[in-house]
Amino acid sequence: MPNRLSPLLSAALFCVVSSVQASEELTIYTHPSFASEWGPGPAITEAFEEQCDCQVNLVALDSGGDILQRLRLEGSSSSADLVLGLDTGTMETARQTGLLAPHDIDLSALTLPVDWSDSLFVPYDWGYFAFVYNTEQLPTPPASLDDLINAPDDLKIIIQDPRTSTPGLGLLLWMRSVYGDQAPEKWVKLKNKILTTTKSWSDGYFSLFMNGEAPMILSYSTSPAYHMAIDKTDQYQAVQFEEGHYLQVEVAALVEASEHKALGRKFLEFMLTRDFQRHIPLKNVMYPATDLGAELPGVFSKLIQPETTLYFDPAEVASNRSRWLNEWLDAMTR
Amino acid sequence: MLDVQNLTFSYAPEQTPWTFSFQLEPGECIAIQGPSGSGKSTLMNLLAGFLTPRSGDLLWKGRSLLKTKPWERPITSVFQENNLFEHLNVLRNIGLGIHPGMKLSVAQQQAVENGLREVGLGGLGRRMPSELSGGQRQRVALLRALLRDQPLLLLDEPLTGLDAETRALLRSMLLQHKSRGTAIVLASHDEEDRQRLADTVWNL
Amino acid sequence: MAGRHDPVMHPPLSHPGWQTWPGAVFAMGILGLSLSGLGALIWQSPGVDITSLWHSSYLRGVIAFSFSQATLSVALSLFAAIPVARALDRHRNFAGRSLLLRLMELSLVLPTIVAISGLVAIYGRQGWLTPIISYLAPALDWNLYGLSGIVLAHVFFNAPLAARILLQSFENMPSQQRKLASQLGLGSLWLWRTIEWPAIRGILPGLAGLIFTLCFTSFAIVMTLGGGPSATTLEVAIYQALRFEFDFGRAALLALVQLLVCGSLWWVVVRHNTNAALMPNRVSQEHPSRRDSTGISHITDSLMLLFFSAFLVLPLAAIIWRGLPGLWDGQVSLLLPATLRSFAIALPAGALSVIVALLIVTASGSTRSRIISRLCDIAAHFPLIIPAIVMGTGLFLLLRPSLGTRYDGFALVALINALMALPFIVHLLRGPLQGLDGDTLKVADQLNIRGWYRWRWLHWPRLRKPLALSMAYGTALSLGDFGVIALFGTPAQPTLPVLLYQQLGSYQIASAAGTGLWIIALLLANFGMFNLLGRSPRLKESNHA
Repeated sequence: MPNRLSPLLSAALFCVVSSVQASEELTIYTHPSFASEWGPGPAITEAFEEQCDCQVNLVALDSGGDILQRLRLEGSSSSADLVLGLDTGTMETARQTGLLAPHDIDLSALTLPVDWSDSLFVPYDWGYFAFVYNTEQLPTPPASLDDLINAPDDLKIIIQDPRTSTPGLGLLLWMRSVYGDQAPEKWVKLKNKILTTTKSWSDGYFSLFMNGEAPMILSYSTSPAYHMAIDKTDQYQAVQFEEGHYLQVEVAALVEASEHKALGRKFLEFMLTRDFQRHIPLKNVMYPATDLGAELPGVFSKLIQPETTLYFDPAEVASNRSRWLNEWLDAMTR
Repeated sequence: MLDVQNLTFSYAPEQTPWTFSFQLEPGECIAIQGPSGSGKSTLMNLLAGFLTPRSGDLLWKGRSLLKTKPWERPITSVFQENNLFEHLNVLRNIGLGIHPGMKLSVAQQQAVENGLREVGLGGLGRRMPSELSGGQRQRVALLRALLRDQPLLLLDEPLTGLDAETRALLRSMLLQHKSRGTAIVLASHDEEDRQRLADTVWNL
Repeated sequence: MAGRHDPVMHPPLSHPGWQTWPGAVFAMGILGLSLSGLGALIWQSPGVDITSLWHSSYLRGVIAFSFSQATLSVALSLFAAIPVARALDRHRNFAGRSLLLRLMELSLVLPTIVAISGLVAIYGRQGWLTPIISYLAPALDWNLYGLSGIVLAHVFFNAPLAARILLQSFENMPSQQRKLASQLGLGSLWLWRTIEWPAIRGILPGLAGLIFTLCFTSFAIVMTLGGGPSATTLEVAIYQALRFEFDFGRAALLALVQLLVCGSLWWVVVRHNTNAALMPNRVSQEHPSRRDSTGISHITDSLMLLFFSAFLVLPLAAIIWRGLPGLWDGQVSLLLPATLRSFAIALPAGALSVIVALLIVTASGSTRSRIISRLCDIAAHFPLIIPAIVMGTGLFLLLRPSLGTRYDGFALVALINALMALPFIVHLLRGPLQGLDGDTLKVADQLNIRGWYRWRWLHWPRLRKPLALSMAYGTALSLGDFGVIALFGTPAQPTLPVLLYQQLGSYQIASAAGTGLWIIALLLANFGMFNLLGRSPRLKESNHA
């Protein structure tokens, strides 16, 4: 009996196994703007599926924080193979969960403004935090962070709350890296120029800035690229500050519990190729992590080019964040 | 048949309680009279089971009704007002008295139509109560009570405010039911009603 | 006929247990679900530092601020809502009344980001009305950002809701009293003292409690319009703890603090509000004319309604103005499937919410046990106080191993949306459902119209309108919700609010404005449709007796 059945069985098994292989699934947790119709998600998924004989599943969670949250909630039973969309602010917390696996890939193609040799996280794009201003409302914006802080109080800016938003935290770190322990005093001076502190970038950008409520908003140095390339308007530009700009790097990582690690690593390698990177500039509106050469859209040459890159080691951010936040709160509610 | 034995009730402990005692046989009508606040409505509510007496007993065919729910008592009431469901038309108001789920046989539907014609409301079955005069509403309520055909009728000023002709008509309908064995407790200010309908008049 | 010898029949579901237990079981289920959600968070966190809460001046400041802004918002919302509801009750036949009612229903359920964008366009620094306000009242030194903006937005969201609920109570005023007042030609002040005040006195504390809780837990509005971190509610701290610090224990503790503050408020309300349902109220089919509907009060009423309409319409007009260009932009292929997905979640959520609310209100009204009645009241308001993200995260932790497909996620979203709508729907249904007067109940009891038959013949015909309105609110709240669905992750197919946020995240500002407009149009259509369904079918009623 067993003997007569075994060929059948193995044939059946082979079918099952091969069909699984043919449509091996790669589940990636990411954020909505990456996965959306206008984000790089669909094009990148298609490009990768062409070369991997697999199926890519993008699951969009609200933000980088949510991706990490979900990963922690699911622990070792997570259905994610990769997480994509963490950044320098959340990296360290993600590392401490122990739920991520080393990527083991070659990072030499990276062209970030800082050296990068992390064993867990692979960058896929980067950008600077910057204030974007409406050229029609504000012909001559402040030329430095100092100028902004010392500007008359009728100059209004919109920022995001560092307790709930990534750019908000970015500004906190930016101020910290420029002024060190003086940062709280500078916040007190900046306070009167802050029209409001929104929960998220979207709230401020959509509800306030695009309604003309304030001429400046905390955003990314790359934001004008979208307005110039897609909206065909030069009305919104970033201001270049003399002190330099704080860097944000967006990263992806492999999940330790994944059953498709080999495929996951393939994706991480693919991430640093042109087929992936060419979709970053205009669809994610960030700088590509590798050199795109002539494929980098022309508008990117019109963006500000900060002379100094400000950047804290993620571990330092992680260990100081709550203290810095409390100082900020004190300064702002003083 | 109905035996009210020292049924006492008061709304507050310090109040002097009412005490009711009387018997009623099939086909008999007792009229109670007295100024308002003398306890007419209280008695009606006690009999119907909307109030719980402090002491005494209420027997129906020798069995106590005190533990019997209002819907299980062999009783139909016509209140002074607010007898009708305002959101339902006349036919439904009557139909629900015959079957609580409006499941009427053809004969029952016919009886409703006939009854309406008899009390002078032919063709008004689809009116809403708010579209009827006070007298018309009272006729609908009384018709429902009669069609329910329960052995004991509790009538609280049923004919007040009606014109002479209608009063005469409804009185004759009540007498007809009385002669078929329906017992009636009647509260009325009207001398003529009491004389024509009641076998006993009781002053509260 | 009914036959004097027939045994007494028992209408279907007439056992008293049917009125109490289904609702009580659901109430216990809701409490259990919410508390185990909280419990799961605490259980998952390594250590909970309770003392940190009492020593934090930050937290004290947050609570004090939330308290004052919520109190102010409640006072102003009711201050605006009562005269508006009176005026709407006085004038039942003016052109646009029905549209105004739909707009009043709409404001509460607008997605916050869209509504804020509308308010900013009117009252912001570049707002349409700001120059006029500055010209008329320079002393006011109008600035949207700060307490004024928060309160303005809260009044915008809550005053129409309050007016809508109050109007419903006015409509349920006893008809004899109305007639009497009409015959006596009572003036406005007397009408208020003799009829209107008694009609709303019972529901006012609960309504104030509802609005207070909404404002106390308000989140994005407070942050966007508050001007800075001194305008913070507990919900912000909870979000921060959950999404940024991954401190489940702290999030759960903060949620408990919120529960304590709002819970004690409800406790006070419930204690002083025990006989609200005992008010006799015989629904009037007719509305006798009121003496105060003419003359000088006619003019003031018209002016007031005009102002109130403008207050509601202007922000919407700004949203339409801004959204129209983006709507034509070849978006239909995205909007339609997203609409279908949204309704696929919202309709079951609305229906579930209405059914559970009915059962809970029935149970709380019919039970003799004070414990069950309180349990129902508490359960009905619990979802308002426990932040959805806490409940969502807790439930996720609890259900994690069994959450398989994405459809489970959608079902969970529908479930939480249904819970979120419950407090509102309970308020909409409580009055009408418990509003059968004593005389009607006596007649119904004697005629044995109990159980299913009572529901079918006495409640259902009177509940059509409130039920339709409840269903509309339940569906709409879910349609516009972003917070919960974002928790569970969405595959490539977005619902409408998710689509909106995707567009925002991708700089698709014009399309996002278009999607916002589309959501509003849909919400309005939703209310219009359910309003039509709720129309009392007088013709039908008359034709099949």
